[in-house]
Amino acid sequence: MRIVVEHLTHIYNEKSPFAKKALDDVSLTIEEGEFFGIIGHTGSGKSTFLQYINGLMRLPSSKKRRKKKNDRTVFQVGEYDLTRKKTDYFGLRRSVGMVFQYPESQLFAETVFDDVAFGYKNFAEKKPTKEEIEKNVKEAIEIVGLDYERIKNSSPLDLSGGQKRRVAIAGVIVTRPEILVLDEPAAGLDPLGKQEIMELLHTLHQSWCKTVVVVSHDMDEIAENCTRVAVFSEGKVKYLLPPRELFKKDEELKALGLDIPLTAKLCLELKKQGVEIDCDFTTEDFVEKVLRLKGGKRC
Amino acid sequence: MLKDVSFGQYYPVDSFVHRLDPRLKLVFLVVFITAIFLAKEFLALGICAGLLLLALIASKIPIGKVVRALRGILFLVLFTAVINLLFYPGDKVYWNAPAVLFEWKFIKITQAGIMFTAFLIARLILLMICTSLLTYTTTPVALTDGFESLMTPLKWIKFPVHALALVMSIALRFIPSLMDETQRIMNAQKARGSSLDTGSLIKRAKAVTAVVIPLLITSFRLGDELGEAMEVRCYVGGNNRTKYKKLRFSWRDLIVFVLGAGLLAGVIVLRFFPVFAL
Repeated sequence: MRIVVEHLTHIYNEKSPFAKKALDDVSLTIEEGEFFGIIGHTGSGKSTFLQYINGLMRLPSSKKRRKKKNDRTVFQVGEYDLTRKKTDYFGLRRSVGMVFQYPESQLFAETVFDDVAFGYKNFAEKKPTKEEIEKNVKEAIEIVGLDYERIKNSSPLDLSGGQKRRVAIAGVIVTRPEILVLDEPAAGLDPLGKQEIMELLHTLHQSWCKTVVVVSHDMDEIAENCTRVAVFSEGKVKYLLPPRELFKKDEELKALGLDIPLTAKLCLELKKQGVEIDCDFTTEDFVEKVLRLKGGKRC
Repeated sequence: MLKDVSFGQYYPVDSFVHRLDPRLKLVFLVVFITAIFLAKEFLALGICAGLLLLALIASKIPIGKVVRALRGILFLVLFTAVINLLFYPGDKVYWNAPAVLFEWKFIKITQAGIMFTAFLIARLILLMICTSLLTYTTTPVALTDGFESLMTPLKWIKFPVHALALVMSIALRFIPSLMDETQRIMNAQKARGSSLDTGSLIKRAKAVTAVVIPLLITSFRLGDELGEAMEVRCYVGGNNRTKYKKLRFSWRDLIVFVLGAGLLAGVIVLRFFPVFAL
């Protein structure tokens, strides 16, 4: 499923003193199979954009849009055309899994099993059998790296922070969405937890979810994982590049209040010392290029 | 959906009504509500409505906001209206027609019933508008300041006025936060296919638990955190605290004070010497 967006504009509280343009003529395409990153300052419109992909934020009716002159909004997620009046939002949400910021706050059931099964039961086309539910819930809990037998009957509130987040993610991916959208999945976790979550996303990207869209503030995560990155600023897409090219623009990113990954910082520092390195800013590639400079010898 | 609930939201413009002393506005609200309940006839209610209209115009609140506030009580109004319309007994004749217009089994539509229903609707709408006008034009902080100041006499009998005012201001402060939180959780559950906005009524009602429980957990957590933060800062309420903004009584307040007194007097007089009695 491709995501095609053209000329998307969103204004919060239109016609009131609080009016705020959250998205301003945004156009971008996310291809199937991408690990797509979105970065941007707080309030740059990232989260609003994510909510559109899931149909939680809806375009105004076509009637209203036609009134505004030359409205050219295009919004397609696979076969779902969100500019149409009767979009199958339920179907859309089945194919697009959405993990919100701090997803552990959505846990509500008495047991982990029930909570993960919630989404599966909701989205099932016909009433699933007990075995089907159990099989899918088990697989979802296991793929996020938790021990199914040990955890299934405990209350989600008794788990640790990292475990809660995994359960919440399991509750979203249990329906095997084609596109997985995550809003800062690693926020508030310790470094190890962060790393584990990113590894989990990789596993998911290779197995269950063809496309992964992730919002993050952590540039290292973005540099390591993403195929392409969109930089949001004041509701606009400022850059749309692979990390390899994006993080060369350290000055521009700094002007937008954004950081660059550690590898890019090291490259800059080396450049100051007169050593030019051309790498794609993943740790692996960086190390390889440095070693090559040294003639393959390790110190 | 939730953003349509606008009760308790301050609308930031500068106007005559915004600048009034919150104490006066609170007292005026009480006076106004009393007047509405004392009014037994249309003229008195008309005077109240006229005054409220004047206040609305002076407050520069867009009419859409007011209508939105009314939408919240739409169901209540319709319900009371239907019940009264169908069952109100009375044989008074207001216009040239039989007193009982329609009768079927226990249902009885009378002229008196229609008049009474109209009166009741007008009363409810006025009540809603005047309360939301107060919250639209007064910040929560000003409101609690006014409240605390008005309750001063209770301090003499060792009533914890300050604590009460604090509870009130915290409650008001957290309405929008909890509203946001609810929206967030609703979105999260909708993304998991919960039938909050689709499906039958029973399904929707069931889906609500998935929102209420996380919301309760969150509010307990928020309360805990707030309490701890206050304790860390050694918060002690009471006599020695000074105020950043002192409340002052100005010429505006005097005008409104006179208007309010006049309204109350007028309504009381009309109660004893009705012009258009029901």
